[in-house]
Amino acid sequence: MDKRKSFWKNSGFVEKIGLMVALFVIVVVFTVINKNYFSTQNLLNILTSASLTGLVAIGETYLIIAGLIDLSPGSIAAFSSVVAGLLLTMGVPSMLILPLVVLIGLLIGFLNGMGVNKLKLEPFIVTLSAMSIFRGLGYILCGGKPVFISDKSFTDIGSRQVLGIFNLPVLVLILAFLVSAIVLSKTFFGRSVYVLGGNKYAARLAGLNPEKISTILFMISAGLSALGGGLLAARMQSSQPSSCSGLEFDAITASVLGGVAMSGGVGSVGGMILGVLILQCFNTGLIMAQVQVYWQTVARGLLLLIALAFDFYRRNKHQKKMLMQSIEAGRSGAN
Amino acid sequence: MKEEAQKSPAKNVVEFREICKYFPGVRALDRISFRAESGQVYAFVGENGAGKSTLLKILNGDYTMTSGKVLLNGREQHFTCPKDAIEAGISVIYQERQVILDMTVAENVFLGSWARGKDRLIDYNRMLAETRKVIEEFGVSIDPAARVRTLSTAHQQMVEIMKAYIRNAKVIAFDEPTASLTDNEIGVLFRIIRKLRAQGKIVFYVSHRMKELEQIVDRVIVFKDGQLVAEVGRQECTNQDLIRMMVGRDLGDLFQSLERSDSIGETILEVRDLCNYYVKNVSFELHRGEILGFSGLVGAGRTELMRSIYGADPTRSGTVLLGGKKIENRSPAQAIANGIALCPEDRKEQGIIPTLSVGMNISISVLKRLRNACLLIDAKRETQLIEGGIRQFKIRTPNAQKKILELSGGNQQKAVVARAHETNPDVIILDEPTKGIDVGAKSEFYKMICEYARMGKGVILISSELPEIIGLSDRIIVMREGRVTGEVSRKDATEELILQYAMLGGD
Repeated sequence: MDKRKSFWKNSGFVEKIGLMVALFVIVVVFTVINKNYFSTQNLLNILTSASLTGLVAIGETYLIIAGLIDLSPGSIAAFSSVVAGLLLTMGVPSMLILPLVVLIGLLIGFLNGMGVNKLKLEPFIVTLSAMSIFRGLGYILCGGKPVFISDKSFTDIGSRQVLGIFNLPVLVLILAFLVSAIVLSKTFFGRSVYVLGGNKYAARLAGLNPEKISTILFMISAGLSALGGGLLAARMQSSQPSSCSGLEFDAITASVLGGVAMSGGVGSVGGMILGVLILQCFNTGLIMAQVQVYWQTVARGLLLLIALAFDFYRRNKHQKKMLMQSIEAGRSGAN
Repeated sequence: MKEEAQKSPAKNVVEFREICKYFPGVRALDRISFRAESGQVYAFVGENGAGKSTLLKILNGDYTMTSGKVLLNGREQHFTCPKDAIEAGISVIYQERQVILDMTVAENVFLGSWARGKDRLIDYNRMLAETRKVIEEFGVSIDPAARVRTLSTAHQQMVEIMKAYIRNAKVIAFDEPTASLTDNEIGVLFRIIRKLRAQGKIVFYVSHRMKELEQIVDRVIVFKDGQLVAEVGRQECTNQDLIRMMVGRDLGDLFQSLERSDSIGETILEVRDLCNYYVKNVSFELHRGEILGFSGLVGAGRTELMRSIYGADPTRSGTVLLGGKKIENRSPAQAIANGIALCPEDRKEQGIIPTLSVGMNISISVLKRLRNACLLIDAKRETQLIEGGIRQFKIRTPNAQKKILELSGGNQQKAVVARAHETNPDVIILDEPTKGIDVGAKSEFYKMICEYARMGKGVILISSELPEIIGLSDRIIVMREGRVTGEVSRKDATEELILQYAMLGGD
């Protein structure tokens, strides 16, 4: 019994109940407003829309837990979608497109890592530069115009049904969520991420290699962003150099909503997934409720603010409860 | 107003009534009541976690007490943040300096209450002039226009005291003020504390160093497990009495009772002509079963030397041989693989991972070893290892999942040592392992250090406490300004001899 209890506590399950309630409330409210909201088709649409943010949020969650950040995913996704389009027009087989853009993403991530570790610059600065550079390169490569994709075998990737219900981007997302959750919570590498974010000096003295870990993290983030960009191109049947702007901020918002602390060392993939779902359900709901676009942006900001304020309040209350318990224990002499 | 205070010392009284402070799972303070008056220096003594620091934090508004009252000159005080306390005339000078490094001395002294002219803009010249006046009063040589970053630790601390002084604080509390000061600097500090006392300030003084209490303190308040166990005049009892009150046991023969290693074996570590950015041509040998002490003043280069050997800092030249084989540690990871472990001196900054549990803090260095065929961490083996570490090092924690930050300093340190221990090193380097930890935990560390030597490992001990280094070491190497200035064997070791090497050696 006790063991079960501590399992729930350790997995952060209790903390996630709040997020689940929020998600539930959002779904109920929007269903009341528009009864088409809670339909299989729409929920699948929500998942499909979340597939890009979700992939990027994995990278951001890892990085933020490690005390780092990446501002370049939006640009990398747009860049890689342009590259995918151009490669197709050059006649590269569609099967090779995704592996190639992921490779390019990994390389960009490696460069980000070098900038942070070898040039000793702040991650914020390095990835801010990368954000600008790869956005620009995307425009340059395609001359500023969208590249339309007619290769059916490639666009199929974006819409093909797998397992009867899911399309490929959603399946990729679900797989990525599963793998990243296991890696973060059950592997040496995952633990290193927490250690790095908790105290990078101690991490090094304890025998970890912070430079290697952070480089791999930037590669994961950029690689997933590039994959997301490639899948987006397939889904949209075109490569838009202007797409995905602000993607990194959506991903960071989702991570923070899911309980990832910007101060590093704290967070989980499970929380982040809930964060992504809340954000996307909210976004889709606003669209279906026909809220004006500009107000949607305002509403998103308010959501984040309210969620964090509520979380802070709840944590405080939890601490007070613990305190009362210890006072009780003290009175009964059990301490 | 300050002038007035100097002419006739003002009478101030602080009263603590039934102060209680609870944390989840702990009663940090349990009905603390006492009264402190002007013109006295009060020492708070007790083991770590006894409640001294908690009381200071309540006094300066960092913590809110669970119940009880603080009265200053008969008036009840309600502090919700440090600012309230400062305005009421209470200043706490912490172990960690709270100065702003890139501001000047004058700006720091006036921090937050910068002098302003008629035009409402900051009047820097007036600040400089007033700061200069205080510096002269204190009798120290500090340039009021210097950036604080360029000052020594001791002078940075002076800046903080001046900060309290200029605000006309009635109560000034010091938390381990001498932890990183040299004897000379301690002398200056004590002179200033006496001056503050003569001016009618109430001074609280928290320290683990018994010797200092004799010199500066009038009354001693003894804490144990969150309770006030005694309030006595300094003259009324001996150090032994105080320690007995703190821990409830006699520590007279702390070092004599240790089971020492009786056989010192072959050379395990040899360092030849090691140079790095700080240390110059250091050579020494360490044998199996030996405890090799490194003594010296702050800035002697002991930590810098060990960091090079451990691969944490680059080595410029020189060789390191482990078991007769030349090794090159370019990173701590390599050093660990080679069989060298290090417990860093600054537990908070370099030792613990504050966001993680005690257990994860212990297992991190050997986690790679605990992976199964699928590269996942074997949770069962990790739990076993952690539980073993907690038992072996007597880490006091309700469970392995407890956040390490919620443990006392001594228990945090034990977890860091346990982490190093799990790597199964041939040579273990302990850099100030007992700094800021309580007497009880200290004696446990001493036993552990000797046990290591008996196991045939080489132990390097850096300590700034002379009795500790003399009591434990088989041999002591003394350093000064990056060089080895002396070597003393166990039988010849005296405090005087070591200090001579540490202060005058090499000249």
